[in-house]
Amino acid sequence: MTALRVLTVDDSRTILAMLHHTLSNAGFEVLQAEDGQQGLDVLKTQTVDVVITDINMPIMDGIEFIKNVRATGNHQSLPILILTTETSQDKRDQGKAAGGTGWIVKPFDPEKLISVIHRVVH
Amino acid sequence: MSDLDDFKATYFDECSELLTELEEQFVAIEAGERDADRLNAVFRAIHSVKGGAGAFGFSALVGFAHAYETLLDYVRDGRIELTDEVVTLCIRANDIVTDHVAAARSGEALPADYGMDEKNRFDALARGDAAEDDAAGEPDEEFDIEFVPVMVNIGGNDDDFPEIDDTFEALPMAGESGHWEVHFTPHRALYARANDPLLLFRELAVLGEMTTKAVLEEIPPLSDFEPFAVYCSWEITLVSETLTEAMIREVFEFVEGDCDIAIAQLGVGTPPTAEVKAALVHPATPSAPAMAPINLLELADDEVAHLLEFDIEQAAPAKAKADVAPVAVAVVEAKAEDAPGLSFADIADSIKPTPVAKAPLAPKVVIAPAAAPETAPGEEGERRSLGVQSIRVDLDKVDRVVNMVGELVITQSMLTQQMDETLRTRYTELVRGLEVLAQTTRGLQDSVMAIRAQPVKSVFSRMPRLVRELGLKTAKKIKLETVGENTEIDKTVIEQLSDPLTHMIRNSADHGIESPEKRLAAGKPETGTIRLSAEQAGGNILIIVEDDGAGINRDRVLQVARDKGIVAPDITPTEEQIDQLIFAPGFSTAEAVSDLSGRGVGMDVVLSNIKKIGGSVHVRSWTGRGTRMTLRLPLTLAVLDVMLVKVGDSPYVVPLSSIVETIQCSRANFERVPSGGQVLQVRGEYVQVIDLAQRFAMTTTTEPENRFVVLCEAEGSAKVALVVDDIIGQQQVVIKSLEENFERVEGIAGGTILGDGNVALIVDVQSLKTSIIHKNAA
Repeated sequence: MTALRVLTVDDSRTILAMLHHTLSNAGFEVLQAEDGQQGLDVLKTQTVDVVITDINMPIMDGIEFIKNVRATGNHQSLPILILTTETSQDKRDQGKAAGGTGWIVKPFDPEKLISVIHRVVH
Repeated sequence: MSDLDDFKATYFDECSELLTELEEQFVAIEAGERDADRLNAVFRAIHSVKGGAGAFGFSALVGFAHAYETLLDYVRDGRIELTDEVVTLCIRANDIVTDHVAAARSGEALPADYGMDEKNRFDALARGDAAEDDAAGEPDEEFDIEFVPVMVNIGGNDDDFPEIDDTFEALPMAGESGHWEVHFTPHRALYARANDPLLLFRELAVLGEMTTKAVLEEIPPLSDFEPFAVYCSWEITLVSETLTEAMIREVFEFVEGDCDIAIAQLGVGTPPTAEVKAALVHPATPSAPAMAPINLLELADDEVAHLLEFDIEQAAPAKAKADVAPVAVAVVEAKAEDAPGLSFADIADSIKPTPVAKAPLAPKVVIAPAAAPETAPGEEGERRSLGVQSIRVDLDKVDRVVNMVGELVITQSMLTQQMDETLRTRYTELVRGLEVLAQTTRGLQDSVMAIRAQPVKSVFSRMPRLVRELGLKTAKKIKLETVGENTEIDKTVIEQLSDPLTHMIRNSADHGIESPEKRLAAGKPETGTIRLSAEQAGGNILIIVEDDGAGINRDRVLQVARDKGIVAPDITPTEEQIDQLIFAPGFSTAEAVSDLSGRGVGMDVVLSNIKKIGGSVHVRSWTGRGTRMTLRLPLTLAVLDVMLVKVGDSPYVVPLSSIVETIQCSRANFERVPSGGQVLQVRGEYVQVIDLAQRFAMTTTTEPENRFVVLCEAEGSAKVALVVDDIIGQQQVVIKSLEENFERVEGIAGGTILGDGNVALIVDVQSLKTSIIHKNAA
């Protein structure tokens, strides 16, 4: 069986690196993008099983990114997890309203990260 | 753990970039550019610093960054006005963040109350303008939230979720024999957000013994079937001794609001409420739909999907259990209201068959990916797809390439040199090959150098801050203008640039710009201007620091120089020469030692720093109008275009960038001057002559008329005529430091190894010219 592919979208290299480490150790194939626009570009050519995206990003933020993904032909059922340090509920709600499937709170515990992914991916 | 160290290194790298960015943004913000983009960028930067800090447990940094971030958030959404006072506070906060990052990096602890004043100010500001926020709870919140991820540990104990709100009819007898009924009715939105009941059930199944029953009565005949409508709901029973309602709700965490859920416990001695009871006994509606559910199920996997042209694979692998299969196709227009505590009966009522219109079939969803992996398996596709626009390479690796290219250049020029006339005529193919090689080498070299090139912006961006501080300390009004910040220059040069520039700008602010009163009295604008610019001029980069201040006090400078023995009493330097004296070693006008410039080092440090990287400094001053200091820097440190000349029997090289022209001595207009020296008249201009043989104490046998003049331009367009014995040709050389390998020699900028293996010295035109004054003075 092929590895699940995860697209990680975050403008912080640190977070991208940590996600990459955690996810690839758990056997995922990891793709990276540094903002929403790059994320969309990746999705144009790649099929992924789940997307993990930050909210606060330059060029295109996570909310716009999710909206765009959902508006794209065949991504209605792509699970998108919002990565957020937001202490308030706002961002999470906005992300969900835009079409986010669930969320992960930074800093993430590796095991929980994996379990949350499995919660939204077949 | 080395991984963690790697992440930390990445994090600190990122932090320094973010902090630089912050600084840049605040320069603009200070200048009045307070648009949303900028504020967002500032917020993001602090947010990212905080995010990473949280991951590594830098709690002091997290705490401060969080308070700062909150303030920025309020500023961003207009709850707090961005007054000058707030800007000043933010700039201070940037420093504190920088210090926290530095402390986290070095592992040293800052005082516990470091930045506390500012933090309190943030809190006060946030409280003042946002009264509805529970500001008192803020300090605790930041730690709670930052370090306790909200995620559930499935099957974990309930200590993790101590405060789940029990507004639902949960029965507080968790420990007792747990028999739970869950009625779950997804809304359309649940599917729209890519949640999937199957996954929820999978998770529920972990919690206890589970049975599910799909309620399919609402499914209309296929002719009336709406592809995106939701017709299904489920009745689930879960049996577990340790199950709590919170644990069940947790599973539905992501879909809260996107479905109707009713949870009830059928525990011992806990009679279900009337509604629940009613719902439970409610028999499956016998009024069977035109098509039995079972038929639909049989169709579900391929036929229905095909009929609806619904991409099952994309839509959620629906080849699941029969029980759940309709999910993929059965999506209903549902009630939007979130209805906690709804009874089964209510839910049953709320699900009405959607009136069926002759709706066209769903748009074709099966769209081939724009470039399927097998059609674009190439590297390029891969790279683009991963969104990689740049790679980070260790500087050492680049340097290795640079060095090797340098050696390649030497070898190539050596080969070219070996081609004498006989060979040239004999092996024309070889000659052509060598020409191509020369071109390619050149191209390769340019490309490699371009890798090392960076915009000077990274240094320039630190200066506005400096000027601001200087303005405050000297009580002068100073503004900084920067031009050409995108000019690119070798990374090593850039790194060496910060100190000299800082010093020069300090000097301008401290000694150049006058007090506002003096400026007004002199009829100048109250605010002084320092202009920092960068431009490329041939093979050099010029960095110019210019001010509109009082100019250099030449009498004073000359006086000091004479007192210190830098200029002999019998010499009368020109105004321009006097100006350069401020860079002379040991020159520091004592009275000018101030808090700012007088830090024990004079401008001579600027000169020696710049020389180290192969550059030169020139200053020009206009009394009452200002001073201009020009740094001339090499584009690259590694390779130099030179003219190879001969002095005595030894080869010397003169940087091509400084050569204006060459003249045969027999045609040159030399004239003697009373002091015994020689000058050369070139197009009406008198140029100082330096005989390199004499200067470097070489014996020459070449007849004077067969020698050559190499006319060079030093700083500030001052020319100097170097007399050499012969001109051999042009080539590129790799600079080797003389200081590192031998010792510093006045008039020599370095050494190089020629193609034939001989060592040649690189003539330092600028220092030859300036050393004249000192020599005469001595």
